Amino acid sequence: MDVRRGVVKSFNSVTYKATVQVAGSLSVWLEEVPVARNIASGEMVAGRRCALIFFSESDPRDALVVGVYT
Amino acid sequence: MRTLLSALLAAQKQPSGVPYVKVEVVDSIGGVKRLDWQRLYSGSEPDSYHAATMPADGSLNRCRVDGGNLYRQRVADPGPGSDFSAWTLMDACAGAGVALTSYGASVLLFYVGTNGRTIYLRESSDYGASFGSPTTITTPASAVGWLAAALKSNGTALLLYSVGGAVYRVKRSGGSWGSPAAWTNSLSSVSGLACQYWLDFNVLVTGADSQGRNKVWSTIYGDGHSEGVDAWSPLREVTGASAGSSVEFRAPSLACADTFRATFIEKYTGSESYSRPYFSYCPIAADYVDNLWREPVPHDLSGQYGLALASSAAAAWLTAPWRVWQAPLAPSILDVTDDVLELSSEDQPGGGHLRVVLRNDDGRYLDLSGANAVIQRGAEVQVSPGYVTGSGPLASAGPAYWLEGWEYASGGGSATLVLHARDAWQLLDGWIARRQYAWANGERNLFQLLSFVLARAGLELSALSSSPTMTDLYPSFTIHPGESGATAVRRLLAMAPDVLFFRGDLAYVKNPQAGDAADYAFGAEHPILRGRYASLRPPANRAQVFGDGPFVEGFDWPDIEDAYDRVRQTHDLNLDTVALAQDRAAAELRHLAMASQGGFLVAPPNCGQELYDVVAITDPSAGLSSANRRVVGLNLRYVRGGPAPAYEQRLTLGAV
Repeated sequence: MDVRRGVVKSFNSVTYKATVQVAGSLSVWLEEVPVARNIASGEMVAGRRCALIFFSESDPRDALVVGVYT
Repeated sequence: MRTLLSALLAAQKQPSGVPYVKVEVVDSIGGVKRLDWQRLYSGSEPDSYHAATMPADGSLNRCRVDGGNLYRQRVADPGPGSDFSAWTLMDACAGAGVALTSYGASVLLFYVGTNGRTIYLRESSDYGASFGSPTTITTPASAVGWLAAALKSNGTALLLYSVGGAVYRVKRSGGSWGSPAAWTNSLSSVSGLACQYWLDFNVLVTGADSQGRNKVWSTIYGDGHSEGVDAWSPLREVTGASAGSSVEFRAPSLACADTFRATFIEKYTGSESYSRPYFSYCPIAADYVDNLWREPVPHDLSGQYGLALASSAAAAWLTAPWRVWQAPLAPSILDVTDDVLELSSEDQPGGGHLRVVLRNDDGRYLDLSGANAVIQRGAEVQVSPGYVTGSGPLASAGPAYWLEGWEYASGGGSATLVLHARDAWQLLDGWIARRQYAWANGERNLFQLLSFVLARAGLELSALSSSPTMTDLYPSFTIHPGESGATAVRRLLAMAPDVLFFRGDLAYVKNPQAGDAADYAFGAEHPILRGRYASLRPPANRAQVFGDGPFVEGFDWPDIEDAYDRVRQTHDLNLDTVALAQDRAAAELRHLAMASQGGFLVAPPNCGQELYDVVAITDPSAGLSSANRRVVGLNLRYVRGGPAPAYEQRLTLGAV
């Protein structure tokens, strides 16, 4: 399991998935990352920092945005 | 195991052989020459559209656009003393792309007229010494952006030009230019084109796709090799950036020298903005269609219009309107065999290292210039173990290492130069992802993902044997920024029973199977100096695999019956069928089974021995008769002369 910091770039409130810039990646963002349902969609504002858990270090589908802050 | 000449095979089985260890230092990575750019010109020409080509006489032909005029230059015998500042006015032109291409004595120069739409050709048949009058090729309805061109040996030529987000091609066959036709790909904008003929018309494109993602793509306009004649391949990403990331790419250049080499501009418009050239290349034996590129490396220059690549058989050339660089293409090789006093190497599944002690009693290595200049950090050290045979000294080209550093040692009346190097895993360790890489499920199989990562470190992958999983599993996979290539490779290999090892500077996957026959025998004909043979419990004997739905178990029943079960669990959402989960369980058990035996043997070197070979051991003192073991570690020790000379190989053993 891997925990990483990121920045919310966009959020789809229908699929409850986000596009996230994982810290360290200037040019390419990770798309379709599942977002914890206990995070209100109104909190998923582009530009806010977020915390991601990768249950599998190498499978981006097996990840979750677990917190959003700033 | 590497195949050995019969004379060498016979020599290494003799009770006493005369060692021969060939050691060479080469300025290359993965068989590709590391270009040592030497700047030959630094002028004051403004940055603008430009191009370069090198016809068969070795002259350097350049052109550039400046203030609505097209200038050209030809330097007949380019070198350190040449004048790269003299330009000849050719014609008035638009502020748009230009293209130069050549073959033999023919040089083709394309440019856009002052109306911004008409594309002209001026052709030379004397290596660019003189050009004919302008010929109109086409006049599109809208402004032309970028040009690229390539020429075949039979005179067939291809001109590419961009209008907005579309790329058009015009082909000359049999001396006649055809009609323009749009490509079959789609982009929203094009910010650069490059083309080079080698079996197909190989193309690089920069621009933005319909979702606003800026990228560098390779594509092929077919000539019957990797793509059908006059057919376009899909766009394949070389590098890219997400929409809104403030990163874009432009002005690519492509050359086919010793391999395909490319440059392009990466431009960042955020804080601390930059517009910087990057260069990359393909692994030496890769096809262009494979789209395998070394991680692009930044070049110390700032510009908007990129660098133009050109090459002859002897050298590669890199030009901007106000700069010229040259780099020799011939590999620099320094044979230090006669100076080796000691050598020790260790090769393990996750990495290896080398230490070579060279005589320096007469100060021969104090000056690392001239022939010794190849001894530099990152240079490749090739080690070939062998023996002096009746046919002379023979060796088997063995593993390769890359120099990490060196030290001078003195004392006791001697002076030495000690080289320290690490194997290809160090190159993988050294490749750190500088962006997020992600592949969706179904996009690339395991072998293709491994090839991508290895190519990023400058290495090439092939297969000695491979499991079906290597080609059948197309996992969802990501490499996070800051992770190394070695980490990515280990994660990929964990999905299959296959293992990875290096032969020279090439990587191979191999599917080690329990029924593999022995590659070589120790004990009967090839003496064993000493050995230790261990029977071990595997780290686990029961594999539980949790996929995206399926749950599967694999068991090592004999070991469970002996000592109850030890569980290893795997969780992977890529395993969405029972068959895939069963394959993973079997792979886990294979990896575990290889760890169920241990020990080592020491013998005079088998010059062709490699990691993961199976050896048959006959050692009556240990009760072994043609007992098969797998080589899971290799050490070589060579001490030439002195009070305790040595030439021996230590094989770390595992179960087959």
